[in-house]
Amino acid sequence: MDSGPLISGIGHGALLAWALIGGLFSRAPEDTFEVSEVSIISAEEFAALSTPQPSPDVEVNIPTPPQPEIEDTPPETPVVETPPEVQQPPVEETPPPAEEAPEVVETPPPATEVEDTPPETPLPPAQDNPVVLAPPAEIATPRPAPRVAPTPVVAPPPDTEVAEDVVEEASPDADTQAQNEPDEATAPEEATDVIVTEADEPPSSAPTSSARPSARPKRPTPPVETADSSTSDAINAALADVQAEDNAAPATTAPTGPPLSFGEKDALRVAVSNCWAVDVGGTSSRVTVVVGVSLDREGKVIKGSLQLIGSEGGDDAAVAVAFRNARSAIIRCQKGGYKLPIEKYSHWREIEMTFNPEKMRIK
Amino acid sequence: MTHLYKAIFIVAALGLGACTNPDQLAGGGAGGAGAGTGLDGTTGLASDPRSPAYFSQTIGDRVLFAVDTSTLTPEGRATLTGQAGWLQANPEYAAIIEGHADEQGTREYNLALGARRANAVSEFLVSQGIAGNRLRTLTYGKERPIEVCSAEACYAKNRRAVTVISAGAGA
Amino acid sequence: MKHLVTSILTLFLALVALPIVVVTNAQAEPLRIIIDDGVIEPLPFAVPDFVAENAEASEYAAKIARVVAADLSGTGLFREISKDAFISTVTSFDSPVQYADWKAINAQALIVGAVNVSGNKVTVKFRLFDVFSGAPLGEGLQFGGTTTSWRRMAHKVADAAYSRITGEGAYFDSRVVFVSETGPKNDRKKRLAIMDYDGAGVQYLTDSQSLVLAPRFSPTGDRVLYTSYETGFPKIYVLDVASVGRQALADQPGTMTFAPRFSPNGQTVVYSLSSGGNTDIYRMEIGGGAPVRLTSEPSIETAPSFSPDGKQIVFESDRSGNQQLYIMPANGGAAQRISFGSGRYGTPVWSPRGDLVAFTKQNKGRFHIGVMRLDGSEERLLTASFLDEGPSWSPNGRVIMFMRESAGAGGAVSLYSVDISGRNLRPVPAEGGASDPSWSPLLK
Repeated sequence: MDSGPLISGIGHGALLAWALIGGLFSRAPEDTFEVSEVSIISAEEFAALSTPQPSPDVEVNIPTPPQPEIEDTPPETPVVETPPEVQQPPVEETPPPAEEAPEVVETPPPATEVEDTPPETPLPPAQDNPVVLAPPAEIATPRPAPRVAPTPVVAPPPDTEVAEDVVEEASPDADTQAQNEPDEATAPEEATDVIVTEADEPPSSAPTSSARPSARPKRPTPPVETADSSTSDAINAALADVQAEDNAAPATTAPTGPPLSFGEKDALRVAVSNCWAVDVGGTSSRVTVVVGVSLDREGKVIKGSLQLIGSEGGDDAAVAVAFRNARSAIIRCQKGGYKLPIEKYSHWREIEMTFNPEKMRIK
Repeated sequence: MTHLYKAIFIVAALGLGACTNPDQLAGGGAGGAGAGTGLDGTTGLASDPRSPAYFSQTIGDRVLFAVDTSTLTPEGRATLTGQAGWLQANPEYAAIIEGHADEQGTREYNLALGARRANAVSEFLVSQGIAGNRLRTLTYGKERPIEVCSAEACYAKNRRAVTVISAGAGA
Repeated sequence: MKHLVTSILTLFLALVALPIVVVTNAQAEPLRIIIDDGVIEPLPFAVPDFVAENAEASEYAAKIARVVAADLSGTGLFREISKDAFISTVTSFDSPVQYADWKAINAQALIVGAVNVSGNKVTVKFRLFDVFSGAPLGEGLQFGGTTTSWRRMAHKVADAAYSRITGEGAYFDSRVVFVSETGPKNDRKKRLAIMDYDGAGVQYLTDSQSLVLAPRFSPTGDRVLYTSYETGFPKIYVLDVASVGRQALADQPGTMTFAPRFSPNGQTVVYSLSSGGNTDIYRMEIGGGAPVRLTSEPSIETAPSFSPDGKQIVFESDRSGNQQLYIMPANGGAAQRISFGSGRYGTPVWSPRGDLVAFTKQNKGRFHIGVMRLDGSEERLLTASFLDEGPSWSPNGRVIMFMRESAGAGGAVSLYSVDISGRNLRPVPAEGGASDPSWSPLLK
């Protein structure tokens, strides 16, 4: 019998077995760690992959029966029509008893002309969105009516009058009053419901499919006929590849420190709360919406990433309004970017915010 | 001669007796209607017990009520007994009983409350022998206050039922 | 042979090694936070003067823009940015919007319009822009009418903007019928009047010869039910708004009728009838026919109001000892009490949205306008004063108009409105004294 090849085979087998199995054990705890590295894909690419174009504006139009919908904006193509509204309305006066004779009901006429879309050009509407850039800074604005803010601590900045100017002030985290917020965990079941048709799609920020690592090195085809050396080379090559990938990534992915602390999460919550306008007497105050957004490393909203994930309550019109208010809140209050620790970036790159106005209605 | 003196004496007594309270001529309820020319040649003066003016000024054409009630008070009953007596004695008259309320309540409820008060008076008069077809009830709710201050002193006077005499029995 | 086996084994192992690396790809979970507290503040908007497309239109262009702005500001949900602050101006209806300029002054919504007048025909166009997203909100609209109805067109523009931004139904193009009062408290002259919801265009429907009370619009806004003393006794009448012709209803001898209201289909009238000192609720068809008695208690039952689906009636009764609110089926039947707080409840009115009842409450010497759910829960008082009463709902169920009287001999009575959240309490300008408001539906 040939002991040589046998011993060689056993030795190699043992080596491979160790490589395979031993590797498993040692890797387990670091699974998550490795995962992020392995999926070498930048945030932008990922966003592009998993989010179809949301267009919040369109949603807005969906609802509201009264309005002639169809907006679809951009193109001028006049849909013009919109007849319904147009006519009738103004016309007559009817009323007048006594005095004059009832007015003639004019039927209005005209043709609908115009209307329809915007003065166009300017922006290609489609953007959908969040003009992430240059969020107007308002807030500080003075207002005749009393303003009701989430926490008493966050007092509106003193420079009332100055209002109009883009004045920024205090960063939100001033207070982090502990409001005992439930914190994530409960977020859950907001789960999708009705809601606005297009755009919404599910996409939670969790990937719907695992990303394929890009640029995988080609695996050398194991030549069956080659000699042992080649096979061992192949094996070595395989091992080398694996290890190469292990080492590869780090530089390109987000730092993943420990999860965010309660204070940091609360600071974000308060920051957004300050810009979240709720119409407490309206139908949109009965709607809870869940909005997903991606932030860049500076804490600014990534253009195109803001979308409606789910909603509960209300009809389409109310949901559209609730979503628009939530979207405005996120964008208006980002200012120069939400203040979140960069070293924990991977933990707050993708955010799901649930806007629930229930408590507000009792104010 | 003695007969003449007696006659003069009697006439003088009667003449003086007729001078009851002249002030009453001017007062009297604003809600009370009234005094048209009397029937059967009555003068319409308050001094004439057969006139509506006498009814409203001497006997009293109104009764008052406590807040949110339509129950007759003892004073009210006394007044109404007098009214019943007059109506019995003057069968050619009919009456409209107006029920009123003070402003401390909502409009419809006060209309209903006024109706209750008027009815309470009407029922009492009927129980005193007045024919039902001589009486009608009417409610004004809080629409016709006679006192305008917003205090109990005024409210008490506004919570009333006024019996308004009109000519024509059984109208 | 063994080489082959080894090679195959190698290949196999190599292939197996691949997936291990790729397998676990789960992303980090997104950060989840809950926002349950926000701010309540009016939304800043801008309405530059509408563009006058010809000389005759210039008189109307500015006026229409002012009415639009007043409508929106009057809701308490919007705050107008003064034109002094504008950076860019609108000189043509179709010119591109300089969003940056509007953002700079913090306008979140922009209304651009144009007016064209030829002869007595007026055409009004407008577009609404969401400055924040740099895009129009909805399509532009155009309205046509006569010069005398320019206010209605302005209200329609404001209605469109309001609905698109808030998601609520519209209500600016509506009217209010009320009682106009003059004279001292002990000699009040009352007559029916009608005006736009914002107080403009007051017109009188009756003279002040006889006492009139509590007018109520029909569901289509073409008729008014009310109570009149023209026969010397309170009776209900229906009046046609356009022709001002009127007709008595339910005239049963020896009885008094008051507090009438239409059913949602405009065919039935529900009212109170007082006979023998007892007041109960009856219904009858507007075209005639025998009245049907709905309540038979020895207590006072009055102030009935239909639900929007016409199946139920809310009313007040003192069967429990003092005034409280009850709901019963529209054809009579067992009534459920819905008010349980301390004090007295009256004048219930069902919201057009169907989920709330507005009422007048008296407690400890004060009057309040309030709302509660159909089962009496979530009772909220919106106002408090010496004497508030008689709520009436706006067509979209967001605003309540009521009357308020001040104390004393010089007590003046006037109309006020308040948002359903209790905010934005404000007077409704009407000439002289005004009471008993009833809000029409949205005009077509």
